Amino acid sequence: MQRLARPLRKPTRVLAPMALLLGIWAAVAGLGLVDSIVLPAPWSVARAVAGIFRDRMVVDVALTLGRVFAALAIAGAVGIPLGLFLGYRKRWYQMVEGPLHALRSIPASALFPLFLIIAGVGETSIVALAAYPSLLVILVNTVTGAALANKRRLYQAKLFELSAYETITEILFYEALPNIFDGIRTAASYSMVLVIAVEMFVGLGEHGLGRAIYEYQATYRIPEAYAAVMLAGTIGILLNLGVNTAQNRMLRWLPNAHE
Amino acid sequence: MLTVLSTQRAREPAPGEHALRMRGVDFSYCSAPDGSRSLYSGFDLAIEQGSVVALMGASGSGKSTLGKMMARIIGPTAGRIEWSPQFSRRADVVYMDQHPMNSIFPWQTVRGNLEYPLEKLQWNEEESRARVSYLASLFRLDTVLDSLPAQISGGELQRLALARCLSWRPGLVILDEPFSALDRDVKANIGHALHELATKDGMTVVLITHNVSDALAIGMRYVIIGDRPVRIISDLEFKSPHPRQRGAVDYDTMEKALIACIRDGLV
Repeated sequence: MQRLARPLRKPTRVLAPMALLLGIWAAVAGLGLVDSIVLPAPWSVARAVAGIFRDRMVVDVALTLGRVFAALAIAGAVGIPLGLFLGYRKRWYQMVEGPLHALRSIPASALFPLFLIIAGVGETSIVALAAYPSLLVILVNTVTGAALANKRRLYQAKLFELSAYETITEILFYEALPNIFDGIRTAASYSMVLVIAVEMFVGLGEHGLGRAIYEYQATYRIPEAYAAVMLAGTIGILLNLGVNTAQNRMLRWLPNAHE
Repeated sequence: MLTVLSTQRAREPAPGEHALRMRGVDFSYCSAPDGSRSLYSGFDLAIEQGSVVALMGASGSGKSTLGKMMARIIGPTAGRIEWSPQFSRRADVVYMDQHPMNSIFPWQTVRGNLEYPLEKLQWNEEESRARVSYLASLFRLDTVLDSLPAQISGGELQRLALARCLSWRPGLVILDEPFSALDRDVKANIGHALHELATKDGMTVVLITHNVSDALAIGMRYVIIGDRPVRIISDLEFKSPHPRQRGAVDYDTMEKALIACIRDGLV
């Protein structure tokens, strides 16, 4: 459980491979090796970036991020307390472990028709669909973290005759925190993938990042479609970076494995 | 000045006078049906209230197991472990782990770690603040009070763990190798601080160690265990006053006596 390396501290190591890819892309497009319908040149994609923001993208990004954050908030608000409780009462966890893993192995996207039937076509079902696998992954990570808590340190709970609530909030929560962050990181990318996929293929309303990608592609505005896809990727990277920053800040106390 | 008692205590303390009493304790890690692998079998030990006892023996002799049984962290397979009826709270008997990180909360600052037990045991704020600053100066933690455990040295960490488990004036403290990360100068100071605190607060201290000089630095009674199943090899009392000077004649005599006893107990 060591602190995460901060990628921004070594910018060349991160940027050099990206620059290389960009160079290859520019060369392929510039030399006309591939039809520009299939792979537009990087400069036309760059020009399209400004265009898509003028066009519609601010609302799309805001809507998609809103759905992703709503899903994550629900998953965290349910998954973390429930996971800590199940980590505290391990017998209960043993009872639900089987069904939980069975549920986890069903692809969430396969459940979307069910969500539509239950919640109807709308914000509720899209957020619920993204929240569902996020909740499972946060829950399982939290339980694991709580179950791996330092037994000798848990002796303090006995010593001070702590209540279940005190033991969970004052000891287990901190013990599980590194695993909770792993869960949140995975959940963030699940939510992002599911929200965009639903926006693309189910099409709830006219907006959303997935909707934009789909529409640009359907209308053969290929540089714009590429720009929107790359924007989605950038948002994914920023989400991950956000989780890492929060993790580094909240786990400042973690004894470093290398010291 | 040197009094060596026989292998049995000369005087059994009267009931109520002892902090801890173990009677007929059996313990084994692997449950062999014939009991041949048992670590403890019919083990007896009584510890007087207010005494400072060094529990000694070679590595692997079962010292930590005994300490954990005393603190009721692990239960014996048979026999009784009685605490003084004066110990009304669970926190009156505390075991401090060999690894200081296990006895503290790494997510709290040094100050937070010292305050936590007092808060849990409902000390009022004023008393708690006074106690924390007293302990911080006694254990030389004043300069790191606002640091996190991960940011302080190994010696400071060990002092923090020690200060924390003595903070609420428990009746009986069982310290498992509490000085292993301290260098000699600091060790002498901390040994002295521990002695001062134990006397002042009337604590009973069981010091688990294989290190003869650590034991001589604070002990009064020396219980040396060894053999399989574990028995008390020697039970000595040295009346030589503290602080004891290394190199003095009686120091050398005490040191030699302890080393010889530990060697006798090797399995």
